[in-house]
Amino acid sequence: MGCSSSVPDRGTGRAGGINPDSGGVIDAKNLRVKGELVLLGDSGVGKSCIVLRFVRGQFDPTSKVTVGASFLSQTVALQDSTTVKFEIWDTAGQERYAALAPLYYRGAAVAVVVYDITSPESFSKAQYWVKELQKHGSPDIVMALVGNKADLQEKREVPVQDGIDYAEKNGMFFIETSAKTADNINQLFEVGLEKLNLIKRLWT
Amino acid sequence: MENSDVFSSSTAPLTWHDFLERMRHPSAVDFVKAIKSFIVSFLNNAPDAERDSAAVQEFFGNMEAAFRAHSLWAGSSEEELESVGEGLEKYVMTKLFTRVFASMPEDVKADEQLHEKMALIQQFIRPENLDIKLTFQNETSWLLAQKELQKINMYKAPRDKLVCILNCCKVISNLLINASLASNEDHPGADEFLPVLIYVTIKANPPQLHSNLSYIQRFRRQTHLVAEAAYFFTNMLSVESFIMNIDAKALSMDETEFEKNMESARALLSGLSKSSDTQTQADQKFEHDPNVSVESSETKSKNDEQYGKNQSSINKTPSISDLENKGANMLLKENEASQVFRDFPFLYSQAGDLTVGDVEDLLNNYKQLVFKYVSLTKGLGVKIPSPSLSKAQCQNSEQPEFAKEPEMREAHLTDNTGNYGEVSVFRLENSESKMPEEVGFQSQCEEGNVSPER
Repeated sequence: MGCSSSVPDRGTGRAGGINPDSGGVIDAKNLRVKGELVLLGDSGVGKSCIVLRFVRGQFDPTSKVTVGASFLSQTVALQDSTTVKFEIWDTAGQERYAALAPLYYRGAAVAVVVYDITSPESFSKAQYWVKELQKHGSPDIVMALVGNKADLQEKREVPVQDGIDYAEKNGMFFIETSAKTADNINQLFEVGLEKLNLIKRLWT
Repeated sequence: MENSDVFSSSTAPLTWHDFLERMRHPSAVDFVKAIKSFIVSFLNNAPDAERDSAAVQEFFGNMEAAFRAHSLWAGSSEEELESVGEGLEKYVMTKLFTRVFASMPEDVKADEQLHEKMALIQQFIRPENLDIKLTFQNETSWLLAQKELQKINMYKAPRDKLVCILNCCKVISNLLINASLASNEDHPGADEFLPVLIYVTIKANPPQLHSNLSYIQRFRRQTHLVAEAAYFFTNMLSVESFIMNIDAKALSMDETEFEKNMESARALLSGLSKSSDTQTQADQKFEHDPNVSVESSETKSKNDEQYGKNQSSINKTPSISDLENKGANMLLKENEASQVFRDFPFLYSQAGDLTVGDVEDLLNNYKQLVFKYVSLTKGLGVKIPSPSLSKAQCQNSEQPEFAKEPEMREAHLTDNTGNYGEVSVFRLENSESKMPEEVGFQSQCEEGNVSPER
């Protein structure tokens, strides 16, 4: 199935922001940013596939990667020689575990809320998560709304515009991705990285 | 800091001994003094969870900064400094353990509630109740994860306890990844991981789970409860919260069905606890005459019925796990815990360490194990499984009193998880954790203190 293929990212999604080949060695003196990214969304929307795509799509041989079942970490070098260590915390999306999510997103810098464009239920669930994050998450958390499975156009039930509108209303970044074809996967994480970086600069 | 990862720091060589060696050095005299006076003054104060935690964390932070600035560690690598920090945590927390572990009435109460709830629910819960997909169901291998978690009460240092949780999570994570590869399923995520961790925890039902988690949270060096360790620990907290609040809805059960299940679990438990008391008293007799029956016929027949129904779940019934937990607790209380294990020379060996000459010893050990096992099984009124059991069933037949069992499990772990190196390293590391009563700190230290420089 989709993300379990080990075919490397064909690189369609890679734009300027992330530069995995920069310099090779990560200089310890360079600014390091640590980002905790939490994934929320109904079960079956492909949360874990998205991050797996991202982690597998990075070719930097110096980056330290951890791929577990639900925890992944990846160090990425940005062009300005900043390195960012992404820790990706996955959460269980089934209804019965919904009450546990605050334990996970409490300290997160970035929250990625995922739904499946072929499932309206998963879109309402995503909206539920956004509201929860607004209520209980850190006030400066960076939020992204992601419509996954964009390769299944013929089965689409959530119009792109709905996603765009909702994201705009809630000050979120929006993107549609396909973990299967790797489309837009890197853009998603780039934006997360850039926003994090921006925040970090404001702090320092 | 990259080495904040518990998994990598655990490979630091000789953590514990290195710490003791350094503390014996004449120039460490001020450190020794500071540590001792901290412990003494801490023990003089009345317990207060928040204040205790803050005091210990602050002390760790100050000491680590002082280590870093001291000539004793001049030119030391991050890893060495790391390891001395671990040593300090282990020394201090072992000394403070009885004072701070499960010392708050509310913690004790939560422990009891949680333990009882798990004891009841483990009687009837099915993987489906938690949304564990068939592809990922593997109760036999989950026993390995249960065993890792059950070791949590064998250790006193927060890090060692945390490692038990991490090992449990790693086993589950690897089993899930292997299952997904074998079945061509998508890469597993938290949708798969959390339900299995909940299931495994309920089945393992380690005593004092709540206190263990609070203890780690309060006293594990905060700079080291990060990254993957923090993630898995958070999962464990969320498991606790889920179990505390379990109801019919949480298990997708009908209200009446849930209540009925809870009722019969209660009935079963009260029957079994009677028989397990008799069992412990009668241990000695069983050694000599396995046929002797001291149980009342009533509880005996209950046992037969229970075990007859489901041979493969022998060690999941409360009587066995309770006995095992009891044994583990007793071990912990014994000062000579390490002495007990010293009699089992192969406990920490790996396959590669063994020579042909060891085979005879191992075989003898094995025979003794089988004899004791058979006697115990008889004693509990369980049918004795035939020797042609599959490996999977053999794993089920672990008996509580055998401290040497982990050796066998280690071998299985290798087979089933492909995680040999990592997990066994932890086990070796963990095995160091038994604390000598007095570590031989120089006692000539006078009053005065280290001024932690920063």
